[in-house]
Amino acid sequence: MAEINLDKIYSSFLLALEESDDEDSLSRIHKEFLGKDSVISKQRKNISKLSDLDKKKFGNKIKDITQKISLEIQNKKINLQKVAYKNREDKENSDISIDWYENTGSKEHIISSVMDEVVQIFSSIGYTVAHGPEAETSWHNFDALNTPVWHPARYESDTLYIDKKLQNLLRTQTSTVQVRHMKDNEPPIYIVSPGRVYRSDQLDSTHSPVFHQIEGLAVDDAISFTDLKGTLEFFVKEFFGNNVKTKFIPHFFPFTEPSAEVLVSWKDSNWLEILGCGMVDPNVFENVGFKKGTQGFAFGVGVERLAMLRHNIDHIKNFYDNDLRFLRQF
Amino acid sequence: MIILKSWLDDWIDLSNIEDDTISEALESLGFEIESTNKITPNYKNIVVGKVVEIYPHNNADKLRVTQVDVGSNTYEIVCGAWNFDIGAVVPVALPKSYINDDFLIEKREIRGVVSNGMICSAKELGLWDEHEGILILDDSIAPGTNFSSTYISNDTSWEIGITPNRGDCMSHLGVARELSNYFDLKIINNEYKVKSSIENILRTNSGKIVECNSYASVEIENFKIKDSPFYIRYRLSQVGTRVINNVVDLTNYILYDIGQPLHAFDRDKIYGTVSVRKGKANEKILTLDNQSRSINSDDLIITDNDKPIALAGVMGGLETEVTESTKNLLIESAYFDKVSIMNTSRKLNLISDASIRFERGIDFNIQEKALKRFLEIFSSNQDIKFSRPLIDDKKNIKNKSVSFSDKEIYKILGTKIDNRFVSKTLENLDIEHSIVEDKITFISPSWRYDLERPIDVIEEIAKHYGFNNFDSTLPIGNNRNKLGDYWNSKSFLSTQLRANDYQEIQSLSFVDNESNKRFNPEKKYVEVFNPIDTNNKYLRSNLFSSLLNIYKSNLEKNNISAKYFEINTVFDKASHPEYKEIPNQIYSLGVLTPSNVTNIDLRGDDLKYDIYYLKNLISTLIGEFDVKPIEKPGFHNRISYLILKNNKQIGYFGQLSYELMDILNIDDSIYLIELYIEKLDNDAKETSNFIPLAQYPFIKFDLSFTVPIDFVAGDLVSLVKSNLNKNENKIEIFDDYVTEKSRNLGIRISTRNYDRTYSEEETRDILDMLVKKIQDKFNVELNKS
Repeated sequence: MAEINLDKIYSSFLLALEESDDEDSLSRIHKEFLGKDSVISKQRKNISKLSDLDKKKFGNKIKDITQKISLEIQNKKINLQKVAYKNREDKENSDISIDWYENTGSKEHIISSVMDEVVQIFSSIGYTVAHGPEAETSWHNFDALNTPVWHPARYESDTLYIDKKLQNLLRTQTSTVQVRHMKDNEPPIYIVSPGRVYRSDQLDSTHSPVFHQIEGLAVDDAISFTDLKGTLEFFVKEFFGNNVKTKFIPHFFPFTEPSAEVLVSWKDSNWLEILGCGMVDPNVFENVGFKKGTQGFAFGVGVERLAMLRHNIDHIKNFYDNDLRFLRQF
Repeated sequence: MIILKSWLDDWIDLSNIEDDTISEALESLGFEIESTNKITPNYKNIVVGKVVEIYPHNNADKLRVTQVDVGSNTYEIVCGAWNFDIGAVVPVALPKSYINDDFLIEKREIRGVVSNGMICSAKELGLWDEHEGILILDDSIAPGTNFSSTYISNDTSWEIGITPNRGDCMSHLGVARELSNYFDLKIINNEYKVKSSIENILRTNSGKIVECNSYASVEIENFKIKDSPFYIRYRLSQVGTRVINNVVDLTNYILYDIGQPLHAFDRDKIYGTVSVRKGKANEKILTLDNQSRSINSDDLIITDNDKPIALAGVMGGLETEVTESTKNLLIESAYFDKVSIMNTSRKLNLISDASIRFERGIDFNIQEKALKRFLEIFSSNQDIKFSRPLIDDKKNIKNKSVSFSDKEIYKILGTKIDNRFVSKTLENLDIEHSIVEDKITFISPSWRYDLERPIDVIEEIAKHYGFNNFDSTLPIGNNRNKLGDYWNSKSFLSTQLRANDYQEIQSLSFVDNESNKRFNPEKKYVEVFNPIDTNNKYLRSNLFSSLLNIYKSNLEKNNISAKYFEINTVFDKASHPEYKEIPNQIYSLGVLTPSNVTNIDLRGDDLKYDIYYLKNLISTLIGEFDVKPIEKPGFHNRISYLILKNNKQIGYFGQLSYELMDILNIDDSIYLIELYIEKLDNDAKETSNFIPLAQYPFIKFDLSFTVPIDFVAGDLVSLVKSNLNKNENKIEIFDDYVTEKSRNLGIRISTRNYDRTYSEEETRDILDMLVKKIQDKFNVELNKS
């Protein structure tokens, strides 16, 4: 019988494959070279007529070429699909420089987020949150905290009162919460009290009649001045980062002794006061009925001040105008 | 207070210490440094000259021409001042010298006469604010001397904050005392040797009241009112005090020097005995500022036989004021009670350097010493006569000795401090003390009011040890990661609302009456007794007014309509449920949802919200709840509801009334929620029970009924649910079509059996059963589609 040139068939297959550029032409090629009327199929039918030796030899040749063609078609098909996906995606372009979405969702007010951050820092070292009234008695705000009757903070020029007899007022510090907490609880006490406080100040760049404070109190066996130092240094580092520098300078508050102010220098800026603190004055413990010899420390930090410092906010009024252009920045 | 380095040098030798080191010391001792000022001359090449000749200027009546000897030469200089004569020693700015930092003085022709420079006033040399005439210097200074070498022209001043417990530091002596321990330098003991030469004419005493512990005085004759010595004027002006004349300046000088306020009276206007008493009703005094002041029985006054002559410690009387014509003086040096002076000075709003020092407490043992220092300085450059200082001291103030164990120091401070350090510190601070074994005993000095208890001295030791020299330790509390209900509720609500694209705001707590009345006319409001802004003198009784204001202002300013919430306290005058003595105050959540919200996708249309959205939102905040219609002021007559949780009212929600929309000029409907956070029951935290997921296919019916206008759709849903309660169900209203006369309600029911697939027959049976139940119960008609 006539020798069939399988190589020639394969060459003409490759030629056809190369010209093919869609799935239809691929199936035509498949049919032409591997279909039942194809030259190869016809040859396969003739195998039975061959000698055993030739049968095997020729059979293997047919099998090889069939596999090769089939694989080539399969590969070509995959390639064509890839090209098709790519072409489809190439048509879908976006100009990512456009900001169609004008903000990234709604936020906590910066005052709340700073308070939350401070609360979380103290929570990590074992403090819980205490809450108390904003309209308070003068006793809780001043007397219990060892503020003498003649102290200037009590003047109407400093404190907002809500009765003529000056017995009730809007708390000027959240230490009032500490007083209530100590009246209801025994040591050990580790609390922070975040919240609103009030002063008789006109709204200007650094003052507001309403602002926020977080005061902390730790009362436990042999709590000492070094504990106060370590605690506040920890807080300052957590809040401003490890590169912040801290120093303690003596100060005076009626409710603590010794009293200190904490100054920080952040990003090599000037020293700025951020905290008042001290060892709780024995008179305060006496006023809330704690036993003699009780020791603890207290501190207070202004929330607006922390926010202004860390975010370079120039004017306290921004916090209370609630302009969305401001609110959405933080 | 401003302190001057050269003045401190009178009390402690700081000459070898750098300014920066002094600044560090001041800060570490608790004096907050408000500013540091290097003082240098603002002039160059000014020399001292002696006026040797004066003659008129031919072309100008107001000018004179002088010949001034400046040592090397004599120059002709034109001068407009008339306060000097031949022989006066004056500062001269020759040509090529500078004043006012960089103003060049040149030879200049003034109305036809060439002036070789100018004779300078104190103001022109940046010394003090006095421009009536030129500066006259001490006769003893040789002509030709460089002016800047005649006084300490390179100096440093610090403006420092002094805490209210340290009145004793409100003088150069006081600050020097603190520094003396820091630098371990001794305080210079300034002794006064003064000898009286006249008899006292007046009698003085401290009165029959406890508020004046001691009253000292001295009489002075044969003196002249003139300018103070140069150094006094220089020092006073550097610490920020106006220079007036030698008497007033020196009383001020003593105050800044050692902290004792003095007052000078014109002795010849005083009759009889000078004493101290409390005021009487209807009594008046004309004070130095020419104001008639009413006195009452709380005020301390100084009187003579006839009349009040001064408000003690606060301000002198005009009648006995020292003037140009004063011939004889009475100088007062007294100790007045802190609180008494404070009350008078606050009441009359007269706050002076003297009153502040009395308020904070002055040294009760310095009155006589202050008079002697006054006399010594006053007599140093003129030949005056003065009496023996009289002092009437009740000796009521005594400081007790206090003891404590040195173990207390370690217990409070947590760092071991050696007793030798304690002893050295107390010694340098002039605090009388002894340390025997572990027992420390001390007596507070007469100038200290802050050393009554052991803790006070422990603070003193800590301060002088240096706060920054202490160790740091970090105690861990007993509440790790337990934030408590209050904070958890706030955080939860805030997180949920933000997830639903609500922006948090923080607004001021003060509002006007109207803002409260609109929503809470039934309440009484808490009013600030001394408001900052009389228009907004009430504490807010609701959060709505603030939310509406912020909504409106952002709409106007930024053209953005957004959803907001605020978590803060609302107040009313009812009594606090727990603490009866204070007003009611409820920690609340306020939520504002506009019906049209600006889409954050700039290509998108406004997002629409309505009351149904609010209802769903509330369930994300508090879980399942019941609603009950109410009529709520400020709200839509029909669309306002109570929020009930386990039959407890925990807030309400609804739509802003059309009336308020008109009044507030709001175009789009607004929905509001108020929730009382403290009423949320945190103990009864809901746990959701798992509902198993049915595995068989659902059957589904859409039914439409014609119902009365006031039909309650929820009842229909409940009925269907109760009849399918063994199945897994999804039952929802999908259509509510309302016209004037009729209402069609569409309900979609999909239900699955947990055990099997429903056959067609079973499906039909269920449908028939439901329709029948509905028609029977509500008497409504099924619409055939």
